[in-house]
Amino acid sequence: MTQPLYIISACTISPQHTYDEEHFLDPAMTADDGQLYVIDPDYTRYISPVAIRRMSRMLKRGITAGMKCLEDAGVTTPDAIIIGTARGSVTDMENFMKDMIKMEEQALNPTSFIQSTYNSVNGWIAMMTKCTAYNQTYVHRGFSLELSLLDAQLLLSEPGDKKYLLTGGFDELTSEYFIIREKIDYYKKDIPPSPELLAHYDTPGTIAGEGAHFFTVSNDPGKAVCAIHNIAMLQQPSAKELLDATADVLSQNRLKIEDIDILVCGMNGDSRNRFLIDPLIANCAASTTIVSFKQLSGEYDTASGFGLWLTNYICKHNYVPPA
Amino acid sequence: MAERVVVTGIGIISALGRGKNAHIGPMRRSQGGIHAITHLRSVHAPEFVLGEINMSNDDLAKLIGLPTGDNGYTRTTLLSLAAMSELLNDVDISLLREEPFAFINANTVGGMSKMEDIYMDVLAPGTRPENIKYIDTLDCAESTENVRRHYGLKPLMATISTACSSSSNSLMLGARMIKSGMVKRAVCGGSDALSRFTLNGFYSLKNVDKKPCKPFDQNRGGLNIGEAAGFCLLESEPAAIARGAKIIAVLTGYANTNDAYHPTAPSPNGDGAYLTMKQALEMASLQPGDIGYINAHGTATINNDLAEGRAIQKLFGTQPPPFSSTKPFTGHTLAAAGIIEAIFSMWAMEQQMVIPNLNFETQMEELDISPAPSLIENVLINHVLSNSFGFGGSNVSLVFSKP
Repeated sequence: MTQPLYIISACTISPQHTYDEEHFLDPAMTADDGQLYVIDPDYTRYISPVAIRRMSRMLKRGITAGMKCLEDAGVTTPDAIIIGTARGSVTDMENFMKDMIKMEEQALNPTSFIQSTYNSVNGWIAMMTKCTAYNQTYVHRGFSLELSLLDAQLLLSEPGDKKYLLTGGFDELTSEYFIIREKIDYYKKDIPPSPELLAHYDTPGTIAGEGAHFFTVSNDPGKAVCAIHNIAMLQQPSAKELLDATADVLSQNRLKIEDIDILVCGMNGDSRNRFLIDPLIANCAASTTIVSFKQLSGEYDTASGFGLWLTNYICKHNYVPPA
Repeated sequence: MAERVVVTGIGIISALGRGKNAHIGPMRRSQGGIHAITHLRSVHAPEFVLGEINMSNDDLAKLIGLPTGDNGYTRTTLLSLAAMSELLNDVDISLLREEPFAFINANTVGGMSKMEDIYMDVLAPGTRPENIKYIDTLDCAESTENVRRHYGLKPLMATISTACSSSSNSLMLGARMIKSGMVKRAVCGGSDALSRFTLNGFYSLKNVDKKPCKPFDQNRGGLNIGEAAGFCLLESEPAAIARGAKIIAVLTGYANTNDAYHPTAPSPNGDGAYLTMKQALEMASLQPGDIGYINAHGTATINNDLAEGRAIQKLFGTQPPPFSSTKPFTGHTLAAAGIIEAIFSMWAMEQQMVIPNLNFETQMEELDISPAPSLIENVLINHVLSNSFGFGGSNVSLVFSKP
């Protein structure tokens, strides 16, 4: 599948100043407890006061990032809405479940049940943009956001007149979800300050994060900052499989690894992933700049969206921020 | 023109049982599958009826040759494996190990059926070891990943969650991937196990009928929740012919649209459902008169049946092809509804029968059309339409044609 996805606009709500992009890393936001929570922007900009009262933070965040992304692209009604989320609105799911347990299944308020539905952000953006076209929600762990982009590639390669698609992904961190993942050794036991995450690559575990990342993509290169040419997803690859897949993607674009100027890489400080990351980086040319981002975003299933936003930022400003 | 996509394998488990005979028999006898609750531990158990599968988790584990007890598999995964193993009775698994292959599943609440019972222990210090096995199952991809691991597959994987249209989207995605040449074959479907979370969610919305549901009836009182899993093997027609596979049906049309109207309710005039059905027919290059049977979404909620009924009437006129909702046989199986009803539609075409819309008594005042109240046999059906509509305005219609 080689249909390019030209990125017309990108909007990210993250633990860093990304929504207000002109303040990115000014200052860099940090966490000492291994939990990077997002900086909430003014949600009343896109959501009416009546609607906003009952909305959970994930819903407000998803809608706002999506609507701003479309606005930045100058698109009123997209030709499709395709979003990935591994966990949807975690707060809503926790709240409805705990209310149900505490109140012994009596007199429950349906609001959090409705909002816990994984496609609720999709539905709201469709309503707000009057988009009756194709609408899809992928919920496959670390592939959720990538599947959204893959579907967009597929859609733009099919017959029809689709041009501007809203893609992206989001996930939410809660204190309870942190406890759950902590119990399966997902996070570091000795938690370093977030900027020092990658200096602790010799111990297992990472730090937690959250975010919402949206991209207006098109088959029209006209207004694009950069384009996605290939997407490859690998199931628990070996180091060799990862290197082979990388070489394959590059060769499909008549490139070699030495040609790469910048590698944006999702290394998360977990020593258990080094067998994959180290050979990849060793394989790069000395002139390649390696850019990491999980010390800024934290780790979660759709964190790759922060990496994609950062890639777009680098292309747009022709500048690699010192992170 | 792209190659046609055909269905060559089916696996299913629902309240009616496992496999084709378990379903066709009760459908011919107009014998519904909604009954009192046996396995779900809900305070509402004495008052509700559900489309519950009459097997415990241990029964399901034994069926697929897994250890019983706390084996780390949620009921959602067990149902998925029960359906997948049935599909594999007729399909050589080596076909699925040949690259490139996609496995596309759909789900709404993951391992909720287990997590809602152990959540407080999971959060507390010193979680019991048997509960640790399930601790990270509260996501929709857990059953997809477990099925893949169980059969040692390395497919292109996706899990979809668009509420009650989820597994219709699985079929549509699989077909699109095959047509694009991205994969040669795809196993597509979905699964959902009963949970107190879902039952109470719909109950809090006042959408649940405490008696067996009455789709398209003036006096309908809401839905019955059910549980099910289903998978179909899709492949390109040349690939199926090359291996001499029996072609069950051709997936000739599909459409995914959004109501863009309300978070949970469909547009009352049925605009969304109308658009979806119309686009699916257009893709199949068919006229409304070509459709021999419509398997309606027909949840028996006030809103759905009104919107869907109006949409059918708008597209097909006041003399539509026979239509029915099969929810009184299985309950509303949420993420699995799309796939199991697609399977029922294909069987209706294969058997040349219209599956009855059970419990229909009184004509809806707002409509001039009514569902098929009893079995119709020896009827000519060359093309069938299957509808699935969900929360978030997510609508999908599928058209299957005779091979």
